[in-house]
Amino acid sequence: MTRLLGSQLTANTPERELIGRAQAGDVAAFEALAGVHADRLYAVVLRFVGDCCEAEDVLQETLLRAWRGIGRFQGRAMVFTWLYRIAVNESNRALERRVRRRATVPVDEEAVQVPAPLQDGPADRAEQRELREALQVAIAKLSPPYRTALVLRDVEGLSTRDAARIVGVGEAAFKSRLHQARLKVRASVSDAALVAAAS
Amino acid sequence: MRLRKRGDDHVWSQEHLSHYVEGDMSWRARRRLELHAEQCPDCSLGIRAVRALLRLLNGSAERTDQRAPAGIFDRIRGDAALTETQTKDSDEA
Repeated sequence: MTRLLGSQLTANTPERELIGRAQAGDVAAFEALAGVHADRLYAVVLRFVGDCCEAEDVLQETLLRAWRGIGRFQGRAMVFTWLYRIAVNESNRALERRVRRRATVPVDEEAVQVPAPLQDGPADRAEQRELREALQVAIAKLSPPYRTALVLRDVEGLSTRDAARIVGVGEAAFKSRLHQARLKVRASVSDAALVAAAS
Repeated sequence: MRLRKRGDDHVWSQEHLSHYVEGDMSWRARRRLELHAEQCPDCSLGIRAVRALLRLLNGSAERTDQRAPAGIFDRIRGDAALTETQTKDSDEA
């Protein structure tokens, strides 16, 4: 039976207990379980879809799918990895829908953020802003498999093994996509600008 | 065995800079790329550029301060409430 309000939930309630209660239909337990990852999931989804409204929609769909599938979660993967996989799949579905609509990929200022070094003058900052924007556009233009590989591995910093598991391909195939994605992004900006921005 | 031309090494090296930086190549391939990069300013710069790209991308996740919007669980609550109503209805029927 579904229970909307969990009883005796605290910040210290163990994850295993939250999973069990969520699997028994406790919505509050599920919210506690997924809620701790919500900000990071939102950031990841936003990097993929590049639009705040669409990211919120994708995140809601991600969480709904997770809620409906929590009964099948067996704990072999970490909760975050499991949510991540659903979020990536949902993000890619959203991107595919967009491609079918023949819409262009919007590049949100907040998406795929590339940080600026902190110690620069105005001219340097302007150049770096241009570089960041060029990188954002280049990443946004990648096809979903390449963008997924680059975002999971290079932006999110996941291990190749974890990222490949999330995507559902072997490590060799994942690395191949990753190298290709880096090649494409690097081709969009000058090598000298990259080196200067990161030094 | 065919002798490799300098141009072959350059094209090959440019395509494998990410593999090199990732440490994702055999010792022999790594040596081939390093020998070429010692003579080629473009590939030498390319190695530094790929490393710089990874540093720039890698720092972006930590600096992003995105907060998930309120109401992200609304659909779940609606879904759960609907399920509960349906369960009650079927129990009463």
